[in-house]
Amino acid sequence: MDLQEISLQLQAGKVKMVKTLVQEAIDAGIPAAQILEEGLLAGMSVIGEKFKNNEIFVPEVLIAARAMNTGATLLKPLLASEGVQSIGKVCIGTVQGDLHDIGKNLVKMMLEGKGIEVIDLGTDVSPETFVQTAKDEGCQIICCSALLTTTMGVMADVVKAAEEAGIRDQVKIMIGGAPITEAFCRQIGADAYTSDAASAADCAAAFLQ
Amino acid sequence: MTLRENVLAILRYQPYERMPIVAFGFWAETVQKWADEGHITQEEADDYIRFGDNGKGDKSIMEKLGFDFNWNSCIGAWVQLSPMFDVEVREVLADGSQIIRDSMGLICKVKPGTVSIPSEIGTSLTDREAWEKDYLPKLQMRTDRIPYDVLKSLPAPEDREIPIGLHLGSLIGNMRNMLGVEELSYLYADDEELYEEIINTMCGLCYDCAKAILETGVKFDYAHYWEDICYKNGPLVSPGVFEELVGPWYRKISDLLAEYGVDIISLDCDGCIDALLPIWLENGVNTMFPIEVGTWGANIAPWREKYGKQVRGVGGMNKTVFARDKAAVDEEVERLKKLVELGGYIPCPDHRIAPDAEFELVQYYCQRMRECL
Repeated sequence: MDLQEISLQLQAGKVKMVKTLVQEAIDAGIPAAQILEEGLLAGMSVIGEKFKNNEIFVPEVLIAARAMNTGATLLKPLLASEGVQSIGKVCIGTVQGDLHDIGKNLVKMMLEGKGIEVIDLGTDVSPETFVQTAKDEGCQIICCSALLTTTMGVMADVVKAAEEAGIRDQVKIMIGGAPITEAFCRQIGADAYTSDAASAADCAAAFLQ
Repeated sequence: MTLRENVLAILRYQPYERMPIVAFGFWAETVQKWADEGHITQEEADDYIRFGDNGKGDKSIMEKLGFDFNWNSCIGAWVQLSPMFDVEVREVLADGSQIIRDSMGLICKVKPGTVSIPSEIGTSLTDREAWEKDYLPKLQMRTDRIPYDVLKSLPAPEDREIPIGLHLGSLIGNMRNMLGVEELSYLYADDEELYEEIINTMCGLCYDCAKAILETGVKFDYAHYWEDICYKNGPLVSPGVFEELVGPWYRKISDLLAEYGVDIISLDCDGCIDALLPIWLENGVNTMFPIEVGTWGANIAPWREKYGKQVRGVGGMNKTVFARDKAAVDEEVERLKKLVELGGYIPCPDHRIAPDAEFELVQYYCQRMRECL
């Protein structure tokens, strides 16, 4: 069976077709890890590149990610039984005082498209929650999003909370959102600022290698 | 020349006497802070928070700061759901957040006391049945959508000190508010026919309302849309779909406006609009607002280079300097001076002035602009 067809259907956002093809691949005895890698993640990788290059836009990313999640749901129990590990674990959220989540959700989808396990903490997340989750769940990366100039300062509190909890050298802290800049990232001592969701996923994958 | 005459001359690349100092309002928290600091009265702050743009409070605060008028000086029809949904609290979470169904039928998370737009969770517009039962009847043309009394009270153009715009509503922004960004995207993938029907219904209503208002004989100086369909990195809709389904409606309304002598058509869209800009220009929308500098470095100069004089702009002033110092304001004013020289451009803070703004720095900006331009 040609797993590239899964990738192509995923890129077109065809949920039902991806579900059918993934099931067929499973039934054909193809290992779940191979279906994930050569079908779903390969498709999301193309989507990420095209999105970064402005060849496609938010709607195409959303429907592709939805298709990926449908396929991934079928694979999840098989991956667990095969002992396949994700390439790393990230906790992500929009910082305290801020309920914007479109950007955060896009980053989450792109991270999952890289085969990274994502714990979505939602919106209005306190620095303590970010840090406690990273500690409890063994996350290698904390991703913080903010859209408001009035809430971006909370990102500095996340860095500080990680230092106070003694885990700063064990986690990378990535930040993003409309008002965020590279200079701000340096100023608060975060590890990386990325300007778009696809770049954030690339950066996280690089940290996890 | 009146402010109105100056605005129209600038946007038509004609000689003018002075550059108006244009505003676009404030966050509620900003005016409250300024009231607490004693710069404005509590009464002014309360009035602004209650009535918003162009209310008594807004005018009074603008006068204290040195602004001439608010760009959002528009009159329009009610083109949204009528009646709107009753807001329902569906769940109260442990941290005080609430899951609500809002007046547009959107299911979202809000947190009382938190200054942020809601987090979108879902929509009541789940399928064709919901559309036909709960939405379509609320989007029909009715005469009570038209503010006839207000229209009657408007001064004739020659008696106006500031321009008065016809607010056209929104050809895609309100649909996004009913569905949320994710469901808007999924709907196109899952039921293209319904997606198109919703667009045609909502755009048709905007057209019918604009026509009814123009037929009253009231003259408008410009027309204005609100869309907000872009984010920091680009559009929240696919440009191809937008061009095919929404573009013709902009054209139809632009042609209608031309029949009534309205040649300045402004559009309010936050975020990076570059991918949608040519579609708007091709269809007669010619004045971009608010040109967000602080968010993603927007600037009218490259658009002018690419599209020529057909693109005008109002906005593009980096409001984040209001949180810094006089030197930052000076630097921004110098940058704006060069853009003003391009013509067809009126500076205005690139969105509502945020609570980190110092009252004196906003005053200083208005003073410097008045001296320089």
